[in-house]
Amino acid sequence: MTRSRLVVTGAAVVVSVGAMVALGALYLDPARAAVGPLPPQALSLPAGTRYVMGLDVKRFVASPLYTKYAAARAANRPQAFEELERKTGLNPERDLDQVYVAGSQAGVPGRSGDALVVVVGRFDRTNVAHAIETEKKGVTSKNVQGTIVYLFSEDRTGRASGATAFLDDNTLVMGTQASVEQTVIARAKGEAPLRSNPALLALLEGVRPGSTFWMVGDQTLLSNMPKAIPGPGGPGTSQSIELPALKSLTVTGDLDPQVSLDITGEAADEPAAKNLADVVRGFVALATLQANQKPELKQLASAISVTTEASRVHVAARVPYEVIDSLQPKRAATAPPPSAQ
Amino acid sequence: MSATPAALGADTRDQDRAVPFFRAARAVFDLSLEGMVWSRRSLLMILLLGLPAPLALLFRIFITRLPSRVSGFDFYGIVIAFYYVRNALPLAALFYATALIADEVEGKTITYLLTRPIQRVSVLAGKFAAYLVTTLALALPAVVLTFFLLTTIRGWSGIGSQVPDLFRDMGAVALTLVTYGAFFTLMGVLLRRPVIPGLLFLFVWELLANAPGYLPRFTITAYLRSLIHHRPPDEGMAEIFAQVLPTALCLEAVGAMIVVFLAGAAWIFSTREYVLDQ
Repeated sequence: MTRSRLVVTGAAVVVSVGAMVALGALYLDPARAAVGPLPPQALSLPAGTRYVMGLDVKRFVASPLYTKYAAARAANRPQAFEELERKTGLNPERDLDQVYVAGSQAGVPGRSGDALVVVVGRFDRTNVAHAIETEKKGVTSKNVQGTIVYLFSEDRTGRASGATAFLDDNTLVMGTQASVEQTVIARAKGEAPLRSNPALLALLEGVRPGSTFWMVGDQTLLSNMPKAIPGPGGPGTSQSIELPALKSLTVTGDLDPQVSLDITGEAADEPAAKNLADVVRGFVALATLQANQKPELKQLASAISVTTEASRVHVAARVPYEVIDSLQPKRAATAPPPSAQ
Repeated sequence: MSATPAALGADTRDQDRAVPFFRAARAVFDLSLEGMVWSRRSLLMILLLGLPAPLALLFRIFITRLPSRVSGFDFYGIVIAFYYVRNALPLAALFYATALIADEVEGKTITYLLTRPIQRVSVLAGKFAAYLVTTLALALPAVVLTFFLLTTIRGWSGIGSQVPDLFRDMGAVALTLVTYGAFFTLMGVLLRRPVIPGLLFLFVWELLANAPGYLPRFTITAYLRSLIHHRPPDEGMAEIFAQVLPTALCLEAVGAMIVVFLAGAAWIFSTREYVLDQ
């Protein structure tokens, strides 16, 4: 073998070994989900789901945002968590892995309360069930396909204001009675109704597994957003900027080592996407103009970039914690003690 | 007693006909690979293309000691999108591909190639294949090492979600080398001194990729960088006007460019008369 072939063979070996390790990591990754970031048990969500949000509790709790701000600010937080832990044995910071929120009626007036919350973690089922049964009055239960569903404030007709149930030892589902029962039935039958929602599945596939928080939704989720915003003349003037309607929205974010946010919106067509991108760029430019008065805004503006790809608008933000610190309202200087007269 | 040529092990090929294309291209490939891998140019290119791997190692060592503002995966995105696809790979293509024929002309050895009973296109094909194998052998191991060094800083959990990006990036790196290689091969057979125009193309013309409207579509880099999906936010003009072209359009445009550039280079090389300075 010539020297050159030896070099080429060595390079091929390095690349092949790397590719095999990468494929192994892809296959063996314990965080590998069923669809996008969703675990298999979340596929029991109703087929009519229009939006899904997720939070990786482990990553969130370990992030500088939580350790620096949330833990420092909320003085009563440990007390609330201690009480929860005393009653149920559940410490959210330690025992929860993932929280998912899904819904189908976000944009329909009066039907905004159909959100379904799926919590994945390690629960002491006996303690949690006891706490559910004894914490509030009016909690009843019924057996749905072999699973106990707890109903809150059930009336004579059998309708309840809310419900909760364990899908399995590690999965707790909470929400409206209908959606919880639907999910429990689907899980008991081994069905995956969410797979019959190709539009939402396509959006979920686009979410990077491993994100600290994420959200996907179709136009239903966005129907409550304003259709126009005041123009440069301010509110009350005839000038206003029309916001193009979005067909879908995908948000992913991470909190370590800085706050990273990626928002992708699908507009109706390419001109609408460019229009929306221009609006966002306009706001970033306004923030830059304000930098004379607030220098920290310049850093914030330079941390945001807006791009378009056909009918998609992509907004990426990478905000270091130093910038967030600089945007925090400064504490008022401690007044000097009044001097004795 | 007379022996037949076959019995003596001699070449039984009809001497009046040219050597078949693939056989000739293979012979040129073998010859060129040996000269290309072991050259001073390759030493420089090893430094240029391998630099991200030691940088990633330093990043990995010092990220735990310094307040980190960029995650390992973001840094990897910067390395691929800004360092490799925008700068290092086009430079490597410029220095290798423009020299495929120019070096033979400069060294007055082109006569030895052109007087052989082989098609000129097979010479170009063999040399281009050698260029591609050499640059891929230098770039891809560095990409793989950089990926693992940067994405496993905080452990191996969650790496599975980033693996598809590695394979996509390896494809983008290969396409970058093929596209720029084809373009600079065309420049190499077209121009006598192609390096300065090549540098002007890379660092002046290609800046149009940051311009608004349809101007980025007149560059090569706009199509190639659009194939990288995890690149971090741009700055300056790119931040204001940045466009990500659709993947299908990028692949079509890049494929068309490769075919056009290579066909043009092959046609010019096949028909051009090389008169060497005495």
